[in-house]
Order: sequence, then structure tokens, then C-alpha cells
Amino acid sequence: MGVGAAELFAAGGYHVVMLAREREKAIDAIAEVQGLARAEAISEQIEPGSYDADLQRAVSGAAIVFEALAEDLALKRSFFERIDRYRAPDSIVATVSSGLSIAEMAQGRSPSFRQHFLGIHLFNPPHVIVGTEVIPHAETDPAVVERVVELLNKRLGRRLIEARDRPAFAGNRVAFKTMNEVAQLVPDYGVVFLDYLIGPHTGRAMAPLATIDLVGWDVHEAIVNNVYTRARDEAHVLFKLPGYMKDGIAQGRLGDKTPAHGGFYRRTEKGVEILDTSSGKYHEAAAPKPIDFVEEMKVLHRVGRYRESLAVLKTARAAEADLARRVVLGYVSYALNRVGEVAETNGAIDTIMSYGFNWAPPSVLVDLLGAASIVELLKRYELKVPPIVERAAAENKKLYAGSVLDFGRTFVG
Amino acid sequence: MSQPPVFILGGAQTDFSRNWSKENKHIVALMREAMLGALETTGMEPREVQTAHVGNFAAELYAHQGHLGAFVIDVDPALSGIPTSRHEAACASGSIAILAASAEIEAGRYDLAAVIGVEQMKTVDPATGGDFLGTAAWYEREAKGIEFPFPKLFGRLGDEYDKRYGLRDEHLAHIAAVNYSNARRNPLAQTRNWYMSESHASRQSRYNAVIGGRIKASDCSQVTDGAVAIFLASEKYAREYAKRSRVALDKIPRILGWGHRTAPVEFDTKMDESRDNPYVLPHTRRAILDAFARAGVSLEQISGIETHDCFTTSEYMAIDHFGITKPGESWKAVEEGVIEMGGAFPINPSGGLIGAGHPVGATGVRQMLDAFRQVTEAAGDYQVEAARKIATLNIGGSGTTSCAFVIGS
Repeated sequence: MGVGAAELFAAGGYHVVMLAREREKAIDAIAEVQGLARAEAISEQIEPGSYDADLQRAVSGAAIVFEALAEDLALKRSFFERIDRYRAPDSIVATVSSGLSIAEMAQGRSPSFRQHFLGIHLFNPPHVIVGTEVIPHAETDPAVVERVVELLNKRLGRRLIEARDRPAFAGNRVAFKTMNEVAQLVPDYGVVFLDYLIGPHTGRAMAPLATIDLVGWDVHEAIVNNVYTRARDEAHVLFKLPGYMKDGIAQGRLGDKTPAHGGFYRRTEKGVEILDTSSGKYHEAAAPKPIDFVEEMKVLHRVGRYRESLAVLKTARAAEADLARRVVLGYVSYALNRVGEVAETNGAIDTIMSYGFNWAPPSVLVDLLGAASIVELLKRYELKVPPIVERAAAENKKLYAGSVLDFGRTFVG
Repeated sequence: MSQPPVFILGGAQTDFSRNWSKENKHIVALMREAMLGALETTGMEPREVQTAHVGNFAAELYAHQGHLGAFVIDVDPALSGIPTSRHEAACASGSIAILAASAEIEAGRYDLAAVIGVEQMKTVDPATGGDFLGTAAWYEREAKGIEFPFPKLFGRLGDEYDKRYGLRDEHLAHIAAVNYSNARRNPLAQTRNWYMSESHASRQSRYNAVIGGRIKASDCSQVTDGAVAIFLASEKYAREYAKRSRVALDKIPRILGWGHRTAPVEFDTKMDESRDNPYVLPHTRRAILDAFARAGVSLEQISGIETHDCFTTSEYMAIDHFGITKPGESWKAVEEGVIEMGGAFPINPSGGLIGAGHPVGATGVRQMLDAFRQVTEAAGDYQVEAARKIATLNIGGSGTTSCAFVIGS
């Protein structure tokens, strides 16, 4: 993430000092930044350095200190202790953590540090994914939040939300619940079937298990374990990492980043293989057996008829449709029940799901299916009805603030 | 002869950074989203639309789909039966659709027209797309068997300036940097999050390869997918619309003037024809002057310009052709910051084709929507201060079809 963040700030016109354990590593990282920016000249704005030789000088002269160390609270805290010593009084300190407690990271630091400290959660790769969460903790100065929001919006082109300092913040909390739920279903239904049934036609750029492979099984584990340990809500059990994933991670199976070990998928010279969770072995991928209602939805998305497509999902009688509805409605229920907990408004959750994950915003699903229908469906599947949906149904109101031009891209044909 | 006024009621644009092929979408989805967005933005009902015109360059090639006018009907059942048509003039297709729609309103045939500009281009690889674009030139003579013919043709436009007046590539690099910088403030611009600097644009490098002649990647507008829909109205309809929208009629922008000229297709013929003319593309100059004359305005009354910068050389040409400098002295406006936000004649506050993106058939309509946004103070972070009148220039081919408009209230 350090490379992506350096590219983002340099492209926004900032002078960046990029620090790594060794200066050579920072120099290598700058070459990566040039690749992301597709421009050699971006290096004119980036200076390499090492923590040992350059930290004090770089931090004391910085307007913003952006930390992108590993997701390890102790490591981050010891780093911030040093930052606290060197930083200029007005400088902002941000962590890119994807879900650790912001308040705990700031604990023990000076009052000035605590007031100027917050989370800036970028999604990978940040030069492509513009959704971003700003996470203040209780002591963050509101003026600091305002400054950060302004620079991220205006200079760095972010689609921003303010998320609460809760486990996994807003986007990861909602998305990884659904992804882990699908991962839990794998032993019963298999990889190919699930990624087909809960595929892009259900309002996501990428199928859920392929997404877990992309982000990495270890990252997935860290996020769901963090929520499972630190949060209690109606979906608690759905954050429990499946046993086969725990075993796979122990064997080095981390997804796309470990091509030899694979993930749910393994790419070989012969083609793509699929994980069989019962044996831990891979077998040749077979195309999923087409399901009529899924194919019908894809055709409707292709011509931009998203409302009609969701009507097909709502009324499909196939046995598989129940499973698809349960997962999609589970997403709507979980996301909108977090309003007031992980973010102030449904609009914030909509934004981060749309621009952080390329998933259809939950409010859009409510509007397209109709709030009254959603209430009835949620009850049918024994899912918790969010108060905001109940109100929308009672008042016959739309929940989503944008238009089809904002959400159309999240429905893939 | 004074023509009845044509009002612009607003519209909507798709995000030009989207790749609709990756979304596995048919071109009709682009048209639907733009049109539904325009209906929502303006608060109009589909049943109110009386006629529709589509600007599109080459859907038959890029998307294997013709008869695009008919696809407007697919947006809503209430549109079934309205007259529709599709217009093509290469990169000026969108402006030609606007001209056709406004002519119908001026003639009193209809009171409310939808104009949709659309192009889906990311369906093919860059070389194939470059070949398709070659059909906007005289294909057999200027494009057949040539890789990326258009950068080469517009490189030659730069060469012609160089020959007649002298041209320094650093000025082209500055034009690129200004457009990218403006695009960063436009939430619908294709390149809004791309890195660009004058230093990068000035040098040929691995990431800034020469595409043709003196044209490097940074000098080029980008291939993209996009659709834009706007509504044009007669005074009768605009009056009703103003009443129900609770705005004064004189606050609703109108097309104050238009110009439309066509030069010979072949680039060499154009250059031969203009050999003794101070303007390299005299028909383009005339299209601009026609628009100014019909609007009854002079350049000094123009608050900003949305021009056709398919390449930096075409914007360089536009600067002197608009009369911002004497012929051949566009570099002065570049050096003095005249064309930048805050300058005397900001060019492409949206980022233009280089920054905002160039889905060919949508571009002319996008320019008019951006002009509408400017004069209604609705351009957000790329608003030109106190914009009253905005001029547009949309070009098809190598300076072949030129369409200019003046928009204001």
C-alpha cells in the first residue's frame, strides 16, 4: 500500500519522502510508483530514504506523515512513538490500517499527536479504487478531519466517507461479512457454483471467492478475525473463518499472491484449477451449469435494465434462487443495520460499497426492489430488517441519493 | 434572418472513466443511462420528448450495431413512436446531431428534442481502434495500412504550424498539462486520477512513447466509452419548463449562435487550399466566426471555451483560430497563462478531450453540456468564475468538419 499511497500523493502534487527499512528498498519502490503512474517523471517528486537515516529529518519537515506498515498494532504503536518525537506540531499523522483501532494506536501519545491522528483507509490499488475512508478517533480535532477531507476530495480525487472507529471500519466490515459467508458455504456447494450464483450479476465487479483470492487469504483472515474478536452483532457467526481456510493458510495457500499454492483457484499452464475443500486438492475447472434466472439477469444487465434484473432475482423459483436471495438480502440487511454504527448515514455506506468494492450500494438494491418488497423478503429469510428500510417502506421513499449514472457500473452483464 | 431561439434545458453524462466492455454492456446501456440520467436531472417525463437525435461515429465497427436512433425508444415505452435519427460526421457527430435537433426546433416541427452522443470504443485493441478511427480520414489514401493514422495526421498539423510560423513542442506539453490539471477537478473526466506533469509531457520515454510524428502519448486524447444526453427546447416549451422549474426564462441557456463548415477530406488538399491563408484551417476559422456572428458576440464577450483537443496540436490551432492570438502566435497565449483556469480565455475547464476523454460521437454533446453547466454555475470544482457565454469547437476528421457554438443566456 505504501507504493500506491506514494503514487497518489505525488500525483496530487505533493513532494513525498518515501521511507523503507533500507534506502535501496525505497528506490525500488519508486520504480514501482513510476509503473503505477506510467510516468518516469513522477520520481522527481519522490525522495527515497531509510527509517534509520532519514526518519527524523523527513518527519520533522512533513505536513502529513502516512504510515503503511504491516497490520500489527504493536509495530504501529512503536512506530508512532518515534513519530510523536519528531513531528512538527501542526502535522497530520495518518494510518492506512484497514481495521485496527485508531484510538488504541494513539494511546500513550502526546495530546498534539492524538489530536492530529486519524485513519485514512485506502483500498488497493488506490490509483484505481477511489473509495476511501477517513476514520477519526474520539480525540481527533474536527479541524484536522476537515483538512484531510478537503485534500483527499480536492487534490487526490477520492470518493470519501467518514467511518467510525469500529472493527474493520465500514467497507470491510460489510463486504467481508458477505465474502466470509460465501466462503463458509464452499464445503456444501463448491467454488464454481457459488462464484457463478453470487457472481457479478448480483451487483459486484468480481465474484466473492475470486475477490478473496485477490485480496489474499491472510488479509481476509486478519479482517474477519478482527471483527469476530472485537465486535458482536447479528452476523457474528458469519465472521468465523472456515476451518479449511485456516488449514490452507497454514500451508501457505494465500490466493493469487501464492500462485504455486493457489487459493480457491489455482492457475497452471494447463488452465485454471479449482480447490476441493474436502481433500485440499485441486481439480480441473468445469464451466458452471447455467441457471436460467442467472442468465436472464445477465442479459438484462447487458442492456442496462437493472430494475428488471432484480425483479427476476426476486421472483425466480429455482432452488438456487433462495440461496442467492439469502446472500444478497443478507448484504442489504447487514449493511443498512450498520447505519449509525460504522458510519453516520446509509449514503456513506453506499459510497464505500460502490467506490471501495464496486458493489451495488445496498440502498440501490432497496430502491430497485422496492422497500416494501425488501421488508417482506427480509422477514421471509429471517434477516434483521434495518429501521431505515422500514421507514422507507412506510413512507414510500427512495433511499439512494444518486442516479443510475452513479450505480450502473456496479451491475455487470 | 433572425431564427427562433433554441434553449438548452440540461442533461447528463456518463462517467468517461468507465469501461463498458468490462461491464459486459451493450451500447444501448450507455444510451439508457445517459438518457435516464438526463430525465432525472431535468425532471422531465419520457412522454414529453417529441424527437430524438443520436450522434455516433462508428458503432457498426466498434460495437457491430447500426440504427442507433431506434435504440432511443428502448429507454422507455413512452418514447415508442417518436421520430429518431442518427448522425455521423466523425468526431463532430455529436454537434451534427445538435444542429439537426435545433434545426427542427427552429423550423417549428417540435418543441422538445433529446440529443444523445454516444460511442463505445473499448471493445477492440488499440491498433484495431486506430484503424477504425482512420475511416474519419480518406481511408484508402491516408489511413489504410498505417498504424495510428490520426496521431500522424495531427502531427502533420503541428508540422505545418512549424513550417509556417515555428512551433515548439514545449508549448504542446504545456497544453497537455493544463488539460490534465483541469480534468482532476472534473468528477466525470476519464483521466481525473491520472498522473501528468509538464516534465512528463515534454519528454519521450518508455511511458510517453511517440505515437506518430511529433505526437507523443501525452499529446493524445484517450479512447474511451461514453454517452451524453441533453434536451433542446423551443421557446414555447422552455417557458412552460421555466414556470414549473421556478426559474426565469432568461436564466435558461440557449444556443446563441452556431457555425458549421466542411473542408476537403484529405489533409494535403486542406493544406494546399490554405497555403496563402493566415489560418491553417480557414474553414474552421469560418465556423467559429459564423457562430460569433450569429450570436452577435465578439471574442471578448466569451468567458471560456470548450474546444476539440483530440491532440495538443488541434488545441494549439484552436487558440489562434478563435482569435485569442494572431495567426501562428498561439504560443503566446500558452506562455501567458491565457488558456488556464483564471486566465482571460480558459480553454477546456472540463479537461477537454485530452483530460475528460474522447468517446468520439459523444464529444460534441459533452462540450455543449459542459457549456450549459458553466453558464448555469453548475460546473462544481471546474467552474469558470462568472461564466456568461461559452464557445465550443468540435472537429471531425483532420480539420474536415468544424462545428462551433456559442452558449449563454
